[in-house]
Formats: sequence, structure tokens, C-alpha cells
Amino acid sequence: MTAFIKQEATEKANEIEIKANAEFSMEKSKLVQQETDAIDATYQKKFKQATMSQQITRSTVANKTRLRVLGARQELLDDIFEKAQKRLSEATNDKNRYEGVLKGLILEGFYAMNEPELKIRARKADYELVEKAINSAVAEYKDKTGKETSATIDDEEPVPEGSAGGVIIIGGNGKIDIDNTFEARLDLLRESALPAMRKALFGENPNRKFFD
Amino acid sequence: MSAQNSAGIQTLLDAEREASKIVQKAREYRTKRVREARDEAKKEIDAYKAKKEAEFKEFESKHTRGNKAAEDEANKEADAKIAEIQEAGKKNQDKVIESLLNAVWTPASVPV
Repeated sequence: MTAFIKQEATEKANEIEIKANAEFSMEKSKLVQQETDAIDATYQKKFKQATMSQQITRSTVANKTRLRVLGARQELLDDIFEKAQKRLSEATNDKNRYEGVLKGLILEGFYAMNEPELKIRARKADYELVEKAINSAVAEYKDKTGKETSATIDDEEPVPEGSAGGVIIIGGNGKIDIDNTFEARLDLLRESALPAMRKALFGENPNRKFFD
Repeated sequence: MSAQNSAGIQTLLDAEREASKIVQKAREYRTKRVREARDEAKKEIDAYKAKKEAEFKEFESKHTRGNKAAEDEANKEADAKIAEIQEAGKKNQDKVIESLLNAVWTPASVPV
């Protein structure tokens, strides 16, 4: 009888033990699986963020160095224009040459305006030369186009003393003006001369694709 | 008869007591196993996490090093280009300035 009782108890105990071991395995693997999945998701995000921030850093660095190089180029160009500006008035030293230049500038105004009567503004010191230049310009204009034109110096509004030279041609009843002073011409070149300057200073651009 | 009977009953009672001890031990074993499952799981999880963290740190430090190297390289290239520009400037500056001044002083006298 006691043997039977013990036998029953032992069998029950074995059942419990077997179930306990099975539960152990299941519970453990469930927990591990759950948590490792969560960890994987977290680290995937972390890796992606790190990769992105690395790309951002690389791009920023590339940009910065590119800007440095462009800055150096710009500095050189500015320096060149500054030096050119300082020398602008050289053309006025040789009177004959300067008169020729003035004639050309006035003629440019004549061709652009195409009007019979124009006003010229110039530096007070240039008035004499300008008068002579106007005469030659009028003659050449008639010669090249067959048309008559005339110009008078507007002595109420001279070009300021500080200017390096050149003239302003006024037409259209005082409403249109062509600024042919040396400074204004140099200013126009600041943009229009850039391609030629680039070629002269740095050579052709190997990356350029469009030439029209 | 009753003396025999009480001895018999006593034996049975003893046997029952032994039996419940055996079952009790099994139940305690079960509880222990549940706890062990959690503990071992935690240990494995922590180890996994540490491994991932180490992988990540390695990745980060590799890329920081790479970034620094790239930056130094880029700066060196920039320095070289800038030196080139200044060279070119010194060489061609005067020519360019002459061209500019000539453009200012030489109007294009053609009828429009």
C-alpha cells in the first residue's frame, strides 16, 4: 500500500518536473526572442542615423572646401578690378590719345541714340578736348551713316571731378543717358569680361558643356 | 486488532506525508525553473545587447576616422588649388588688367 502511494507521488512529481522543463525552455526562448528583436530594431535605427550623419558631414566638408577655392578666385578677381580701377585715368595723360578715346565714346552714344540733338556731360577739365572730340565724332557720324547730328556740352551738370574720365551722352529729351565714363565702363566689364578673364587666368573649364 | 490497525493507519499517514513531500519538491523545482528561465534569458539578452553596442561603436569610430581623413584630404586639395590660383594670378594679372583697361578705353565704334 505504501509503495503504491509512493509510486503515485513519484509519477506525479515526474510529470511536474517534465512540464517545468518544457515551460523553462519556452519561456526563456520567448523572452530572448522578444528582446533581441527589439534590440535589433533599435540598432538598425541607430546605424541608419549614423550613416546619414556621416553623409551630411562629408557633404559639408566638400562644400566648405569648394567655397574656399571659389573665395580665393573671387579675391583674385576683385584684386584685379581694384588695380584696374586705380589705373583708369592713365588714358587722360596723353592728350591726343584721350581726344581719340573721347571721340570714340561720343560716337558710340551717337550710334546708340540715333538722334539729331544730344547733350554731353564731361569733367570740367575735359571741356576743351570734348569740344574737339564732338566735332570729329559728328563728322565721322555723317560719314558713316549719312545723317546729321549735333551735340552740346551740358555745363550745368558736369561729371564729378573724382571721375577718371569719359563722358555721359544724354538723349531722349533728357530722359535717356548712356554712361560712358571710365568707371561705368569698367563696371560693365565686371560681369561681361568674366568668361574671357577666366580663360586668361585659369585656362579653359574642362567641365563646361554649353558654349552658346 | 486495534493496535495493528493504528500501526497500519500510522504507516499510511507516514506514507502520505512522504508522498506530499515528493510532490512539493517537484513543485518547488517548477518555480525554480521559471525563475531560471527569466534569469538566463536576461543574461543572454544583455550579452546580445553588449555585442550590438560594440558593433555600433566600432562602426562609429571607423567613420569618424574616415571623415577626418576625408576632411584633411579635401583641405589639402583646396590648399593646392588655392596656391595654383594665386600662381596663375601673379603670372597673368598684368596681362588681364591691360586687356580690361583697353576695353574701357577703346569704344566699339560701329553703327548700330
